[in-house]
Amino acid sequence: MQKIPINLAQPGMVLEKPAVKENGQVLLAAGATLTEGIISQLEKKGIKTIVVQGEPLDMEGLTSNPSFEKRAERLEHLFRYYQNDPVMQKIKKFLQYYFRQKALISAGGQKDS
Amino acid sequence: MEDLRLEAKKKVLAIKDLPTLPQVLEEVSKLVEDPNVSTEKIAQVISKDQVLSAKVLKMVNSPIYGFPRRISTIQHALVLLGFNVIKGIIISTSVFDIMNTSMVGLWEHSLGCALASSVIAKKANLKDPEEYSVAGLLHDLGKVIALVQLPELKTEVEELVKKEDIPYYLAEKKVMGFGHDRINAWLVDYWNLPLRLKEGLAWHHQLGMAKHYPEVAAVVHLADFLTRVFEIGFAGDDQVSKLDGRVFKILKLSLSKFEEILDELCDEFIEISDLRPD
Repeated sequence: MQKIPINLAQPGMVLEKPAVKENGQVLLAAGATLTEGIISQLEKKGIKTIVVQGEPLDMEGLTSNPSFEKRAERLEHLFRYYQNDPVMQKIKKFLQYYFRQKALISAGGQKDS
Repeated sequence: MEDLRLEAKKKVLAIKDLPTLPQVLEEVSKLVEDPNVSTEKIAQVISKDQVLSAKVLKMVNSPIYGFPRRISTIQHALVLLGFNVIKGIIISTSVFDIMNTSMVGLWEHSLGCALASSVIAKKANLKDPEEYSVAGLLHDLGKVIALVQLPELKTEVEELVKKEDIPYYLAEKKVMGFGHDRINAWLVDYWNLPLRLKEGLAWHHQLGMAKHYPEVAAVVHLADFLTRVFEIGFAGDDQVSKLDGRVFKILKLSLSKFEEILDELCDEFIEISDLRPD
């Protein structure tokens, strides 16, 4: 799953989540495959971003949605103030384990599709 | 120290600079004192302010509340969410409105926290999850107000965070003698918000102090922490907040429920990154 700006959308990408206007109106359901025509329609109707299946674009540094592996790595930094706090260290370990598991699952899922 | 705090409180609540809440809110607050007033009447008054109504509808249609169908009228929103939630939404949009773009990070953090609060409340089987999300939405209001009312102190806090690499909350206490949670408590009284909201806003850093609605404080406490784990928005520092292990007990959350919460946030946080207050 990846959130991308509409101007980077390509025909063939599949919506993971519905394309929704600001006022809540659904323009295109999840599961729809994009075509040139659909993309320009969405742009015309004011859609700025869409959420598509998989990770079709390399948007490192551009996206607010880093991969699970990145999240696991970031925890060392985010927890740095609590190095001597055993409870916080335990929580950090748990979250690291959690995000690594998610990373493994999502890597596996992409091979299948 | 007491004197300093009292003086700061006076400054924070100095009306001339405090963001004014929309006039319709005052009218509506008077209306709801009458228990027999209809939602139709309340909706009528709010709808008079079209700009405000549009903002409220944008929020209630956002992924935070996750209603399957579009809500197109204020009356419908009132029936679904209740007046307290709508009031909270009006306050948050009004307060963040006065801020320039430098506060976008805090707005995003607040939206993230609202979303996380509602997810946690649902998983903990609490009634009316929207009431928790509004506490999450407003939990850092004190930081916005501090910027408006105590700008010099606010700069000092930010500098201390950078210089000593300490959490923002700790820096607030070092510089001002109190944190944004105290400012929250003053504002809640000043704006006459309900007690359950007050406990969530005033005690989200000190769980043990919430005597009447410990679960509201606990939900916001955990939501704040998780929003920081996922780095949604920016609340003044790039650190997690200190998590009080008692939240799991208060909310009766098992480890597997906690994982379910994380799973849901992985899926839902992606939606809010472009919901701007405008």
